[in-house]
Amino acid sequence: MTFPLIKWPVAAAGLLVASLALAGGGGKSAPNLWWKPGEGRTFPALLEYPNDHGVLRIELEGGAIDTRDHPFFRPLGWNGRACVTCHQPADGMSLSLPSIRRQWESVGVRDPLFAAYDGSNCPSLPQDKRSSHSLLLDHGLIRIARPWPPKDFAGTPVTPDFTIEVVRDPSGCNLDAGWGLTSADPHISVFRRPRPVANFKYIEAMGFAYDPKEGMPLRVDPETGKPVSGNLMADGRALSLTGQMREAGDTHLQMLRRLDAEEIRRILDFEARIYVAQQQDRTGGPLDAAGAEGGPHKLAISPAGRLGSQGVPVWSEFEAWEKLEAVVPGDAARTAWRQSVARGARIFRDRTFLITDSAGINSQIGFGNPVRNACAFCHNMSQMGMDVAPGQVDLGTTNQPFADPAPHLPLFRITCLGKPNRHYGRTILTSDPGYALTTGRCADVGRITLQTLRGLAARAPYFSNGSAKDLRGIIDYYDRRYNIHYTEQEKQDLVNLLSAL
Amino acid sequence: MGASAMRALAFLCMMAAFTQSSAVLAAELRFIGCPVYRDTDSGKKSGCWLADDPMTGARYDISLSPTKPDWNFAILVEAAPAGVREDGTDIAPCGGIVLNPVRVSVLDQPCTRAMLPAEGYPGRAFLLPPRNVRPLYAPHDPVPQPYQARRFVIPFDFGRDFIIYQLADYYIDKAVNYALDIKAREVEITGYAATAPALVSGQSIVESENLARMRAERARNWMLMRGVPEDRIILKWRGTGETLPDEAMDGIASASLRRVEILIKP
Repeated sequence: MTFPLIKWPVAAAGLLVASLALAGGGGKSAPNLWWKPGEGRTFPALLEYPNDHGVLRIELEGGAIDTRDHPFFRPLGWNGRACVTCHQPADGMSLSLPSIRRQWESVGVRDPLFAAYDGSNCPSLPQDKRSSHSLLLDHGLIRIARPWPPKDFAGTPVTPDFTIEVVRDPSGCNLDAGWGLTSADPHISVFRRPRPVANFKYIEAMGFAYDPKEGMPLRVDPETGKPVSGNLMADGRALSLTGQMREAGDTHLQMLRRLDAEEIRRILDFEARIYVAQQQDRTGGPLDAAGAEGGPHKLAISPAGRLGSQGVPVWSEFEAWEKLEAVVPGDAARTAWRQSVARGARIFRDRTFLITDSAGINSQIGFGNPVRNACAFCHNMSQMGMDVAPGQVDLGTTNQPFADPAPHLPLFRITCLGKPNRHYGRTILTSDPGYALTTGRCADVGRITLQTLRGLAARAPYFSNGSAKDLRGIIDYYDRRYNIHYTEQEKQDLVNLLSAL
Repeated sequence: MGASAMRALAFLCMMAAFTQSSAVLAAELRFIGCPVYRDTDSGKKSGCWLADDPMTGARYDISLSPTKPDWNFAILVEAAPAGVREDGTDIAPCGGIVLNPVRVSVLDQPCTRAMLPAEGYPGRAFLLPPRNVRPLYAPHDPVPQPYQARRFVIPFDFGRDFIIYQLADYYIDKAVNYALDIKAREVEITGYAATAPALVSGQSIVESENLARMRAERARNWMLMRGVPEDRIILKWRGTGETLPDEAMDGIASASLRRVEILIKP
């Protein structure tokens, strides 16, 4: 396959950022990193952006598209946002903190990114103040307003088996008379990172007909009558991309109408074709060199939804770097980095630790509490590291006592009305109940759908609440949470691996 | 004392307790106790689960149960007489008399969590159990004709309607696939619960008849969500029935009181 290549010259480490200002293949000026809604650029078949670790590549299978009037790229609602506002190509089709801050500094509150509805801590706050947008500017978090009582995947009200009280509300939105829990239209405001719009072949793949965590078959999309993977959105509130985009249209875009069938078709077409992965590392060079298979093209050509433990091992893309071929004569740093990534892949698959008190792993499914396993236990999908089964798991990132201190986030007290939660008891303190806001089940408090692991280098901070400011923060959290006692070398190997994805 | 000497002493103590419990072993082994996790490391899922029978003091290795314990909760342990390794030769992996097959049900009673170090025991390297659901992308053998009525038996843990991973899911997957493959004319689902009180380790345990209904409904939902037409499904439930010798029960009679039977007619 050949692509009309639009590629910024990335010659070596240290030149990446500089390359932004240089000319592309045809000598034209490089476009701004930020894709402004409705600006009408061509989205090329191959696109690269630098980041702190190297270069991210985006491959659009089937060739370039004209984004003029494309519903993913043009404003659809009255706040001036488009889908691309929060799913920026340079940020791995998510949204990085540097991009957010750059828009604030260059455009300010007039940029639709900072729309009052969810680009501020609460719509009722004075919008011209930086402090009213602090969760977005300082933590990369978008406000997500969930109805209370909860509504399920089909929008049907659910009678929850728990009560929720606001303990702390630094945003002011949960106690707000117009937007809060006691308003005429009660909602709970939680704050989350935008998930990447890419690699959906994998995110939507169904490896098995069942969800072993639920002890049930995969959920059925009420619109199509067909089963779905259950891996969309942090709290699983939408079962399909169509459902997700409708919800986003109603909320994030503040559309005054529903997306029509043609708009949905065009967005789905774009989303089905886009693959994102890191392509080049500052130190390690091309990630598909010396037998390695990094980069998005491997994603585009591989079958999705395969269990790594029974087929292609997770991150075996870098297995070749375990061998002598990884050695770059005269470049010890590059050689060492490649070997580190290969070790990181092994650690990811094989370095076991005790996983404890994590709903979705240690309950209800009978793996045991504790269970000894490795990262690839849950991050088990070949090429992608997602969960082949629907991946709602409580890592403790939002639930006390495991969550890191987060005074900027709201804190809720959940009281279970029926059976206590298996791991927390009857009362749970959480900054985001996660999946429980969709199911209404106390047992699901803090369960969050696993993140995709591709293009990580371009889209810090991490975890659904942005609690890990960088890749090392992810590893350090796991190390603390599960008492893994990774060595410093193991941590660095894992960081290098994550940066190569 | 070295690790091997400690293991030998532990072995002798356990075998002494085991000999004292020989009267129990003539019948099915059932007891309630708090689980103990032994942190062995032979790779993923290689940790050991142990539990002591309060009536005999014998320590059993229950690691081979499809459902593993939760160290915060008491467990019901069940094994058929044939599932107890009387010669003790399998004691080495974890430091308990090996029960295999064995069933563990997690109860709601709290336990103090307890973890032992490996103490020289290796644990077991994980092997994919033979009863596992195959992925959707794996080849699926067509059902040979002529189609016949077939009965499938789905086991459940005590007090639960959850589909047991790598046991119940294997059988219900077979049932669903069979119903779909032969375009079943009728799918009769009958749920059972152990509604007759039983005395185990000095405790009376019993299931509600509502659980029989919940199990049947869960099986029905599996059928519906996989595409079996609702008008083909007949739903029934009842309390304690007869025990049922079926491969899904591994010869554990008491476990067979907690089941769903699915009769599929072409």
